Amino acid sequence: MTTRKTEIGGYPSPAEWARDLNRRTVLKGGVALAGLSAIGVSCGSDAATEFTGSIGDAGGALTIGSNASDPAPQAGLAAVVASFPNEDVEVTINTLDHNTYQENINAILQAGEDDVLAWFAGFRNKFFADQGLLGDISDVWDQVDGLGAGFLAASTATDGKQYFMPTSYYTWAVNYSKSLFAEKGYSEPSNVDELLGLADDMASDGITPFVFANDGQWPIMGTFDILNMRINGYDFHIDLMGGKHEWTDERVRNVFTTWESLLPYHQTGANGRTWQEGAAALETGECGMYLLGTFAASASEALAADMDFFNFPEIDPAIGAGALDAPIDGFQMIAEPKNAAAAKELLLHMSTAAAQDAYLSEDPSVVASNSGANTSVYNDLQKKSAALAGSATGISQFLDRDTIPDFAGECGNMFAEFIEDPSKVDGLLADLEEKKVAIFADYS
Amino acid sequence: MTVKRWPRVLAHVFLIALAVLWLVPLVGMVFTSFRPYAETSIDGFFSWPDSMSLDNFRNAWDRGEMGQHFIVTIALVVPAVALTLLFSSMVAFAVSRFSWRFNIALLMLFTAGNLLPPQAIIQPLFQIYLRIPLPEIPFISNSGELRGSLIGLILINTAFQSGFCTFVLANYMKTLPKELNEAAMVDGASVWRQYWQIVMPLTRPALAALATLEFAWIYNDYFWAVALIQQGDDLPITSSLRNLSGEFFTDENVVAAGSLIVVLPTLIIYLILRRQFIGGLSLGGTKG
Repeated sequence: MTTRKTEIGGYPSPAEWARDLNRRTVLKGGVALAGLSAIGVSCGSDAATEFTGSIGDAGGALTIGSNASDPAPQAGLAAVVASFPNEDVEVTINTLDHNTYQENINAILQAGEDDVLAWFAGFRNKFFADQGLLGDISDVWDQVDGLGAGFLAASTATDGKQYFMPTSYYTWAVNYSKSLFAEKGYSEPSNVDELLGLADDMASDGITPFVFANDGQWPIMGTFDILNMRINGYDFHIDLMGGKHEWTDERVRNVFTTWESLLPYHQTGANGRTWQEGAAALETGECGMYLLGTFAASASEALAADMDFFNFPEIDPAIGAGALDAPIDGFQMIAEPKNAAAAKELLLHMSTAAAQDAYLSEDPSVVASNSGANTSVYNDLQKKSAALAGSATGISQFLDRDTIPDFAGECGNMFAEFIEDPSKVDGLLADLEEKKVAIFADYS
Repeated sequence: MTVKRWPRVLAHVFLIALAVLWLVPLVGMVFTSFRPYAETSIDGFFSWPDSMSLDNFRNAWDRGEMGQHFIVTIALVVPAVALTLLFSSMVAFAVSRFSWRFNIALLMLFTAGNLLPPQAIIQPLFQIYLRIPLPEIPFISNSGELRGSLIGLILINTAFQSGFCTFVLANYMKTLPKELNEAAMVDGASVWRQYWQIVMPLTRPALAALATLEFAWIYNDYFWAVALIQQGDDLPITSSLRNLSGEFFTDENVVAAGSLIVVLPTLIIYLILRRQFIGGLSLGGTKG
C-alpha cells in the first residue's frame, strides 16, 4: 500500500474522501489476513503474467461484458474501445441489459466468456474478489495515474489488493427545477430547518414538496442513506451496511422517526410510482424537490435543461452534511481471463483521462474518475456533481451496493412497508434485524 | 318474455365489461407504441395524441437488434418443437400401445417432471452445462460448452416440454382402437412401422394442436435463455426484449412497440391455427 500512487489534486479526488475510505480499508486488511488462507488464492495463473504498463504488447481477442444497454453509455463504451491504442487486440463488447446483467452476475462470472466486466466499486466488487472470482489487477494500479486515494480504496478488496478500475461516478442530491425556484422565489436551504421551511412554503403554494417514487423498491433507499448519514454519520452508516450494528438500535430508530416526520411532505402512493413518473412530476411543477441521482435528468431533455440540485442539508451540526451517495462505476477482470495481458492493457487504458474523455463525449450524465479528464466540456450538472463529491467527507456507494445484495433486497421490502404504515416500524425493524443476522451468517 | 330477456342482457353487459377490462391495457399498449415518450410522460398514457409515428417501432427494431434475435429464435423453436413432438410421441406410443410393468410409473415420471418448477433445477443444470464441452461452432455453440449454446437451449426446452406432450399424446393414443395395431401385427408390421405409419398419422390432430401450443410456449420462454445464455447477441427474441430498458431510464413507449413486434409471430400463428390452438387447450384440460 505504501508504494501505491495516491496523489490527490483537482476534483474528483478529494483528501477528505480519501482519508475516510482509506482508514477503513487498512483496518479491514488486518482482519482479512486471517481468513485469506481459508478462501484460497484462485488467481495463481495470472501471477506469472508480468504487466509492464506499456500498452501495445498484447494481442488476440478480448471480450468486455457490458451492462450498458442505454444508447448513451453504449456509445460511450464503444468510444473507449475505439480509443484503445492497441490495434492488435480485437475487442468485442457483449451487452446485456443492466438488470439482467446484475441479476446474472454469478452466472456471468462462472461462464468466463468475458475477460473484463462492467461493475460497481466498493462492497459489490469486494464481495466477489473475496470469493476468488476476480483477477488481481494491483500491477495495473501500479501504473495508474490520476486516480485519487478514494478511488483506490473503493477498488481494494479485503486482501489489500486491487480488483477494480473506476471510470466514472454520479452523485445523489436534492434535484429541483430552476424555473420553479425562480418563479416562486425559493432558495436552496442550508440546514434542515430551512429545508422544512421551504417545504412548508411549497405546500402553501399548492406544490407537493417532495417527489416520492419507489417502484422497484430501490429509489427510496437513497432517502434512508442520506438521513442515516446526516443523523448518525458516515461511519455508522457504513458499519450498519456491513452488518456491524443492530437495526433495532436506538440510533437507527431515530432515522425512522425523522423519516416519518418528513413523510407528510412527500407524495403518497410511492410504491407504485416509477422514478420516471416522479421526474415528470418535477418537470410539470406538481412537486418541488426530488432526492435522486443526477440521472434524473435523463428522463427528459426539458427537465435536463431546467434541473439543478443541492446537497441534502445538515440535520445535526455535530455531524454536518459532508457525506453522500456517489456510486462509482468501472470495470473488473475475471479470475481466469482468456487474455489477461490484453485485459490489463485495456483496464489501464480505461483509467486514463483520454479514455474517460472519449466516454464522456457520448455520455455526459456522469463524471470522470481521472483528475486529468477534460472538465472544460462539463455541463453545469457535471461541474456541480464533481464539486460536491470533491468536497465530501465521506462517500457511500448507495445502499444496494454497500451491503450484501440479498440483504439490500430485504431493506427495500422493509422501507416499502414502512412508508405504507410507519406505525409498524418497530416490528419491521425487529424482522429486518433477524434477516440481517441470517443473511450475514450465510456469507461469513 | 321479459323474464327471459333480462338474464341475457345482464350476461352481455357482464361480458362486454369484461372484454373492455381485458382490452384496455392492450389497446393502451398499441396506442402508446405510436406516441413519443416526452408526450405520454407529461400528459399521461390516456391523453389525446399530438403526434403519432412509427419511430418507436424503428427504434425498437434497431436498438433491440431484433432481426438477429429473430433468427436465433427460429433456430431454437423449430428444432425444439420437432424434437419434443418426436420424442414424446415415441414414449406415448410405447406407454399406450404396449402393456409393460412400468407403464404407469413412466407416465407418472413424465407428468411429475411437468410439475417441477424450472427454478428448482437451474443451479445444478447450470453446473452440468458448464462442465460439458462442445466443439466451438459459430452460432450453434459459440461458447464451446453446453452452457451458452443454442444446443443446450434446445435440449432443455425439449426435455422440459416433453412431459406435458407425453401426457397428452399418451391419452390421445389410448383412444385409438387397439385392433389397428393387432391387425398390423398380423400383417407383419414392425414396431417402428406401427408407430410411424399407423399411429402417427392418426395422431395428427393432437400433434398439430401441440405444435401450436409448444411453439407459443418455447417462443415465450424467458427463463431458460436468460439463465443459460450470457452473450447478449445469442439471446432469443423474448429474452432480448429487456435490452430496450436502460440502467435507469427506460422509454416505455419503445418497449411497448418492441413488445408488439415480438408478440406478432405468436399472434399470426394463433390466427392461422386457431382451431388447433383451442383444440390443444382442451386436450390438456379434459383428458386423463
